[in-house]
Amino acid sequence: MEERTLEEVFNQLDTVIQDMEREDISLEDSFHLYHKGMQMLKICNEKIDAVEKKMLILDGEGAEHEF
Amino acid sequence: MRNVYSVKQVNSYIKNMFTQDFMLNRIYVKGEVSNCKYHTSGHIYFSLKDESGTLACIMFAGQRAGLTFRMREGQQVVVLGNITTYERDGKYQLYAREIILDGAGLLYEKFETLKKELEEMGMFAQEYKQPIPFYAKRIGIVTAPTGAAIQDIMNIVSRRNPYVQLILYPALVQGKDAPESIVKGIRTLEEKQVDLMIVGRGGGSIEDLWAFNEESVARAIFDCSIPIISAVGHETDITIADYVADLRAPTPSAAAELAVTEYSQLKEKMYDYEIQLKRSLRQIIAGKCTFLKQYEIRMKYLQPYNRLREQRQRLIGMEEKIRILMEKKLEKAKYEFSVRLENMKALSPLEKLSKGFGYVTKKGGTAIKSVKQVKINDTLKIELKDGTIYTKVTDRIEEEENGRENTGGSV
Repeated sequence: MEERTLEEVFNQLDTVIQDMEREDISLEDSFHLYHKGMQMLKICNEKIDAVEKKMLILDGEGAEHEF
Repeated sequence: MRNVYSVKQVNSYIKNMFTQDFMLNRIYVKGEVSNCKYHTSGHIYFSLKDESGTLACIMFAGQRAGLTFRMREGQQVVVLGNITTYERDGKYQLYAREIILDGAGLLYEKFETLKKELEEMGMFAQEYKQPIPFYAKRIGIVTAPTGAAIQDIMNIVSRRNPYVQLILYPALVQGKDAPESIVKGIRTLEEKQVDLMIVGRGGGSIEDLWAFNEESVARAIFDCSIPIISAVGHETDITIADYVADLRAPTPSAAAELAVTEYSQLKEKMYDYEIQLKRSLRQIIAGKCTFLKQYEIRMKYLQPYNRLREQRQRLIGMEEKIRILMEKKLEKAKYEFSVRLENMKALSPLEKLSKGFGYVTKKGGTAIKSVKQVKINDTLKIELKDGTIYTKVTDRIEEEENGRENTGGSV
């Protein structure tokens, strides 16, 4: 799961929504897809990791310091 | 304190010396173009330089016919003009009347050679360009830690998406050690496995930007497994690094715009997905509910109770029909009866009795129709309208066959 990029997750969400819009979908499948979609949105949020970042600067040895 | 002169006096004295100098009035000067500025007024300001120093030059708009190409930094040119002073600044400069390209400038030539060489090797080919990730979480930057470039990038990134991690490799971006420093920066950040790199610097002269025209830098960019956006100088400066990078940004600010997806846009997209998911589910449920209703209605219709009621309804209808038919029949019979009654009345003998006739019978109820039926002293019964008379026959006269009237025989 962690291997997927944000863009891939978005693409999968597109597929989920397309599937849900099919006429012949069963109630069970639609509940399943909905759950899956919501799970994916959660993954998106995790990927974005909405914590402000300070820029880091590398020193001669490649160690990271705050800028 | 005898010889004190004003600035004006000194400046015009010097100007006069320049003007009178035969050689300075018509001179060819060779050098490399630097700090070239095309002013909106049409004048061109530039410097000519060589390894020893620089000479300020100006070409007025009125002399532009003497220039047949677009002058660029680093070009090796020969300028024809006159040298004189500009009194306001107390400076001398070359007033150009004609400028010709002196072969390709040395740096320009070097640039062209390397560009051609690398292009032939396919290093600029589109098929080697790596796509810029849709969402780079960690972005490495190779540039000077001081200067406008890094500030511009930081400002734009924090505005667009403050959740992106920037990692700066502080590189030398001009001077002879710059290429090595830039190459090391690219390799270090590659080891750090960032998602994307921005390599570049702010604007400067062609010499200032030269590190980005070095082959070692071009190769490091080409060999790097992580996508690189180049951002060198201004819009008009194109370096070898720009050709070889996966994406060229005209400026460091533009590189930051290209590298970072706006957070608000991502959020909006995610919100849209959520809305769509919820709406789809709602629609599906609503659709299934409609189906259920339809089944319900059909089931109700098919229920035995309903069939029963329907049959009963039919029965009631039939009963009603029969009743109506019977009533009609009765009505008709009554009518016919009354018609017959009237007819009967018309034919009744009672009617005749009221007009003076009587009904004569003898004992036993036999109606007397002929004289021959009676004998003298027979008792006859005569029925009138309002009663009955019993009488005795006192005489009887038989009539001739032709029927003459005889009164004595009856009443």
